[in-house]
Amino acid sequence: MFGGPHAALPASLSCDVAIIGSGAGAGITAELLTKAGLEVVLIEEGPLRSSTDFKQRESDAYPSLYQESAARKTADKAINILQGRCVGGSTTVNWTSSFRTPSSTLSYWQQRFGLAELTDDAMSPWFAAAERRLNIGPWLTPPNENNDLLRRGAAKLGIPAAAIHRNVKGCWNLGSCGMGCPTNAKQSMLVTTIPAALDQGANLITQTQAREFELSGGKVAALRCTPVKIDGTPASDSVTRIVAKHYVVAGGAINSPALLKRSNAPDPHGRLGTRTFLHPVVISAATFDQNVEAWNGAPQTIYSDHFLDTQAIDGPIGYKLEAPPMHPVIFASTLTGFGQRQAELLRSFPQMHSLLALLRDGFHEESPGGTVTLRSDGTPMLDYPLTDFVMEGARRAFLSMAEIQFAAGARTVSPVHEMATSYTTWAEARDAIRALPMKPYVTRVVSAHVMGGCGLAGSERLGVVRPDGQHWQLNNVSVHDGSLFPTSIGANPQLSIYGLVNKLATGLVKRLNGRDVTLA
Amino acid sequence: MQRRTLLKLGIGATALLAVAGGGLALLRPGLVNGHLTAGAQSVFRGVGRAVLDGSLPSDAIERDRALSTHLKRLNDTLAAFPAATQAELSQLLSLLASAAGRIGLTGLRDDWANASVTDIQSALQGMRASRLALRQQVYHALRDLTNAAFYSDPVAWPLMGYPGPRAIV
Repeated sequence: MFGGPHAALPASLSCDVAIIGSGAGAGITAELLTKAGLEVVLIEEGPLRSSTDFKQRESDAYPSLYQESAARKTADKAINILQGRCVGGSTTVNWTSSFRTPSSTLSYWQQRFGLAELTDDAMSPWFAAAERRLNIGPWLTPPNENNDLLRRGAAKLGIPAAAIHRNVKGCWNLGSCGMGCPTNAKQSMLVTTIPAALDQGANLITQTQAREFELSGGKVAALRCTPVKIDGTPASDSVTRIVAKHYVVAGGAINSPALLKRSNAPDPHGRLGTRTFLHPVVISAATFDQNVEAWNGAPQTIYSDHFLDTQAIDGPIGYKLEAPPMHPVIFASTLTGFGQRQAELLRSFPQMHSLLALLRDGFHEESPGGTVTLRSDGTPMLDYPLTDFVMEGARRAFLSMAEIQFAAGARTVSPVHEMATSYTTWAEARDAIRALPMKPYVTRVVSAHVMGGCGLAGSERLGVVRPDGQHWQLNNVSVHDGSLFPTSIGANPQLSIYGLVNKLATGLVKRLNGRDVTLA
Repeated sequence: MQRRTLLKLGIGATALLAVAGGGLALLRPGLVNGHLTAGAQSVFRGVGRAVLDGSLPSDAIERDRALSTHLKRLNDTLAAFPAATQAELSQLLSLLASAAGRIGLTGLRDDWANASVTDIQSALQGMRASRLALRQQVYHALRDLTNAAFYSDPVAWPLMGYPGPRAIV
C-alpha cells in the first residue's frame, strides 16, 4: 500500500499490469489477473475508507467518497453527477441495484456497433459468475414504504413492476448504502475483489492520480502518477513512473477518456470522449398521509421497465422507474424553492415519497450523449447537451410518475421542476405537466450513471476499443469500465460492468500468460 | 445559445459589469485558499437569510448565531471542492460582492447586509425564472450550496423530521 497516509510513493514501480482505478471494472480485473499469478498495481485517486469510517452521514461521505465532493456537474451546470471516487469506486457508494444488460441493449450493440459476439447467450455465463462472486440475487426482505408505493401505484394502473436484485450479504436494511456500507454487507469491490487481489500480492496505491501515459511507437512506455489530496489537488510535485507490460484503464467514464486525452492517445476517428451517457434522471416528489421515511431501509428494491419495454429502443426515449433513497442534503439540495415554502416542504420530509425516471440515452440520433474535454489544469469536463428529444422524454416521465403516485394514494405530487407546484389531483398534475417548459435549469436533472466515452466497437471507425477490450491504436492498453458502453445501458450499470469486464479480463489473462482463470 | 453559455465569468462578468455601469478594478476574489472572504461571507449571509427563511431561529441574536455557524459549514463544504470549481465560485462571489455585479446579476439594489429578506427572495426568484442561463446558474449555485451546507448539520435535522442514522450496535 502506497499513497496518502500509507507508505510514500517510490519514484518508479514495475509490474505486469497497471490498473488505473479500483471500481467495478478495476476490481474484477485485479482479481482475475492476480489469480493467474500476474503482478498487479492498482492506482486509485480517492482514499481508502472502510466500514469503520462509514458514519452514515452525507457530510462525511460526499467529500471523501465522491468525485468532486458529489458536486460534479456538466459543463453548463445543468446536470449534477454522483460518481464514486474512493477505493471501490462507485461500487462503494452505489445503491446495490443489480441488473444484467438488457437484451434489447445488447442487440442494438450487435446491429449498430459490430459487436456480434455480445449476445444474451454468450454473455449469460459471465453475468452468472459475477452474480455468484458478489452474492447478487433476489432480496427477500419486504420493500420499504418508499419502494412499496411504487409497487402499489403501478399495480393499480396495471403497470408491471418487479423486485430488484441486490449485491448484499446479511444486509441490515439501514438504507445508508450511498454513504458507504457500515456493516460490510454490500458486496462492493472494497470488500470482495480488491482484498482478494491484495491477498494475491497486488499493490494498491491510493490518493494518487494517473496523470498521463508516455507513448512510444504505438505503445505505452510508462504511466506517470502524482499524489493528490482529498480535494483532488496535487499533494506534491513528485512523480511516480509505473512501467508495466500492459495497462488497464478503469477510472470510470469521464475520467478514463480524460486520461487518454491528457496522454494525447491516438484518436484518428475522433471517437475518444464522445458518446458519454448519463441516464439523465428526473424526479417526482409526493406527500402521503402516512410516514414514508424514504431514508429508511434498502434503497431501490422495486422497479418498472414498462416505459422501456412498451416502445422501440430507437424510438422516442424510454425510461426506467425506481424509488431512490432520500437523506437531508440530497433532499434539500435537489428539491426546488426557498424560504417559507421550502421550510414547509422540508417539514413534511417523513411523509415524502420520491420516484425517479432514468432516461435511456444513446439509442437515437437526437440523443448522442456528451463529450469529455479537458480544462486547462487537465481535469475533465463533460459537455452534455440536454436535447429537446431527451427533455420530451422527461415530460412523459413526469406524467407517468405523477399518475403512479396518485394511484398509490398521494395527497400531493410535485414534479421536481422550478415552475411546478404541488398538485392535488392527477388531472391537475397532468394538465400542468403538459404545459411545463421542458428546458435545462428549470427542469432538475441529475445523474448517477456515467457511461461511454471509450466505446467498444467492431470497427475502429465506430469506437475507441476493440471487442476484446484492447485500445484500437495502443496495443498494450485495455479499457475495462463503464466507459466501454457504446450507448447507455437502460438499467443501473454495475452488473453490466462486472459481466462484460469478467469476459474481457479473462481474455486478457489468456493473451498475457496463457492461463485459464474464472471469477467464481 | 443560452443553454451553451457557461459560467465563464471572465467573459460574462465583463459584459455584465459594463451593463451595470461598474468597473472591474475593485474586484477581490471570493475565496482565498478555500476560505470565504468577507465580501463572499456577506453574499452568503444574505442568501442564507432568504433561502433559510422559515428554518432559522426567529430571535435575532440566535438567528445571527445560526447564520455564523452556517457560514462556517459552508466554508468547509466549499473547501472540499476541486480547484476548478473553487476558482469559478471565487469569481462568481467576487462579482456578487461588488455593487455592480450584484445589481447586474441579481437585480438587488441594497447591499447583501442591508437588503430585506423579501428583496433578496425577489432577486432569487428573478434569477430562478430568468431566461438567461448565467442567471439561472447563479441561482442554483447559491441556493443549492446554502441548502446542502445547512441541512448537512444534525442541528437542522429536526426541522425535517429526520431522526439521524440508525445506531449500529
